Amino acid sequence: MKTRAGLVAGGCLLMAYAVGGALTDADVAPGGVLLFLAAVLVGHDVVWMATVLAVGAALTRVPPRCRSTLRAAAITAAAVTVVGLPLALGFGRSADNASVLPLPYGRNLVAVLLAVAGTTLLACVVRRRATADRKESERPAEDRP
Amino acid sequence: MVRHPDTPVTGRAAVLRRLARWCLTPLPAPPVALRRGPLRPGRFRSRLRSTRLASQLGVALGVAFGICFATGLLSHLIQHPPGWFWWPARPVGLYRFTQGLHVATGLASVPLLGAKLWSVYPRLFSWPPARSIAHAAERASTGLLVAAALFLLVSGVLNISRWYAPMPFFFTAGHYWVAWLAVGGLLVHIGVHLPAVRAALARPMAPEPRQDGLDRRALLGGVAAASGLITLTTVGQTIRPLAGLAVLAPRHPDVGPQGLPVNRTAAGAGVRAAALDPAYRLWVTGPVRSVSLDLAALYRLPQYRADLPIACVEGWSAVGTWTGVRLGDLVALVGADPRRSTALVESLQVGGRYRACTVPPEYVGDPLTLVALRLGGEPLHIDHGYPARLIAPNRPGVLQTKWISRITVAGTP
Ligand code: HEM
Ligand code: HEM
Repeated sequence: MKTRAGLVAGGCLLMAYAVGGALTDADVAPGGVLLFLAAVLVGHDVVWMATVLAVGAALTRVPPRCRSTLRAAAITAAAVTVVGLPLALGFGRSADNASVLPLPYGRNLVAVLLAVAGTTLLACVVRRRATADRKESERPAEDRP
Repeated sequence: MVRHPDTPVTGRAAVLRRLARWCLTPLPAPPVALRRGPLRPGRFRSRLRSTRLASQLGVALGVAFGICFATGLLSHLIQHPPGWFWWPARPVGLYRFTQGLHVATGLASVPLLGAKLWSVYPRLFSWPPARSIAHAAERASTGLLVAAALFLLVSGVLNISRWYAPMPFFFTAGHYWVAWLAVGGLLVHIGVHLPAVRAALARPMAPEPRQDGLDRRALLGGVAAASGLITLTTVGQTIRPLAGLAVLAPRHPDVGPQGLPVNRTAAGAGVRAAALDPAYRLWVTGPVRSVSLDLAALYRLPQYRADLPIACVEGWSAVGTWTGVRLGDLVALVGADPRRSTALVESLQVGGRYRACTVPPEYVGDPLTLVALRLGGEPLHIDHGYPARLIAPNRPGVLQTKWISRITVAGTP
């Protein structure tokens, strides 16, 4: 109980420090920070989660054999896209600095996603074979010719 | 006289007790008619979600955010050192490691946060929305934690992609204070859920159904694979041998003028004309005398070589072979003891946040701290700071001032 009370009290102090610090820091535009906090929260909890839940629901229709592989692939693809899309969109490129974002990110992102898809397909096929083999060997001996 | 057991001993304790009771008093339940859409019971059916999953992802996130906070705070202190702070010049590549770790860990926690928020999403719609004032406060702090965590990852990703337009604030300052907010929220969150975490991570009393266990492990495997793939495709921006795999890294350690990336160009800093002016002079002012040196005079001083990285705050780094004059030699030239002097190094830039930096005595006296004139044997490219730039061990790139115009030494003879 002491530990928990300490964690909660300490956490509240740090949050108060954050608010106080942000309000007194001349470099912080509190309105901008607040707006961005709200935007990422709403963007995630409404827009992003709606998409994720729709994809998740679609995944329940694939055969159970492949489902967890496909789910892992979807997670990987989504995460890589979050990191790679801002690069692929290329708004950070700079006319006078070729060392900023020097790679063809759109092409690279597609290549990584295709590699994920390929690996997933392979894993599904291997698993299907393994399941088929297991069924074969589990069949009672008298059934065999 | 016998006191009634409820009689308060002191006034303050009574107030606190009353406050606690008030916070925990059940609030009236809202009308059931409002319980619609996702608020209806049984709307979220995935059997994958469990307290065990939320706890496992939580622990991983706690570690990742802890690493990010420690390394980020370190970076902040190096750039804005308070009196008590001390940062050594060795090991040469320590900052390169800590800031590389900051960005790599932050990027790797993207799938962790995504999976964690999915795993607890139904709790957003728990009914009643608030059981008591205390419960409402706890939910508000959870909301702050989620917003702050998303803020840090999204702003971090946007920053290293150099896409500043969607952020209506100065990145460094916003990211810094929101990091404190997130860590505070995290401590409260751990305090609230500690017993649940302990119970969920202990060997389960009732073993979970075999299929559920397999599914949960497969999900965790997927999250780990996602983190691993992100790391593999980005970390080559600071770990040279993995550069070939870094297809999603914002920088390539070999790409740039003279084979080294550039953060701020001469044109961007508005110093092209001044840097190329043949009348260029480096002014060094000390406690005893001042000197002004043109490029030829700088080249006549003893030249030294240093293989040192540029370690950017944005998490990339690349090593260059620099040649030039030791900062310590220039400090000695104006009559100060390098090991006991602090140098203010100023750029030709007229304004800007990073136009000058302070070099503390550990660095001034270090033989590897140079006013570099050459990179890879050639005169510096103008975007690397021609005619002269600072290069010192174990410092963020923003403190390696380019296009040096003036060095002011505060120290003892
Ligand atoms: C950035 C870090 C984290 C975020 C954004 C986050 C977010 C959340 C949210 C939104 C909830 C649901 C609301 C609630 O029940 O309060 C939750 C629940 C929970 N979290 Fe976290 N969390 C984080 C870190 C952690 C850590 C470090 C731990 C444990 C060490 C943890 C353990 C839990 C547990 C046990 C639950 C309850 C799950 C259940 O009962 O089903 N979380 N988290
Ligand atoms: C994708 C994830 C992240 C990325 C890409 C990222 C990137 C960065 C960058 C580029 C800086 C340097 C800013 C500068 O000095 O100009 C920085 C600083 C910092 N970061 Fe992060 N970050 C991420 C996540 C986090 C997280 C999760 C935390 C804390 C829990 C955090 C806390 C900090 C702190 C305290 C600083 C110091 C800011 C200052 O110097 O004032 N970051 N981060």
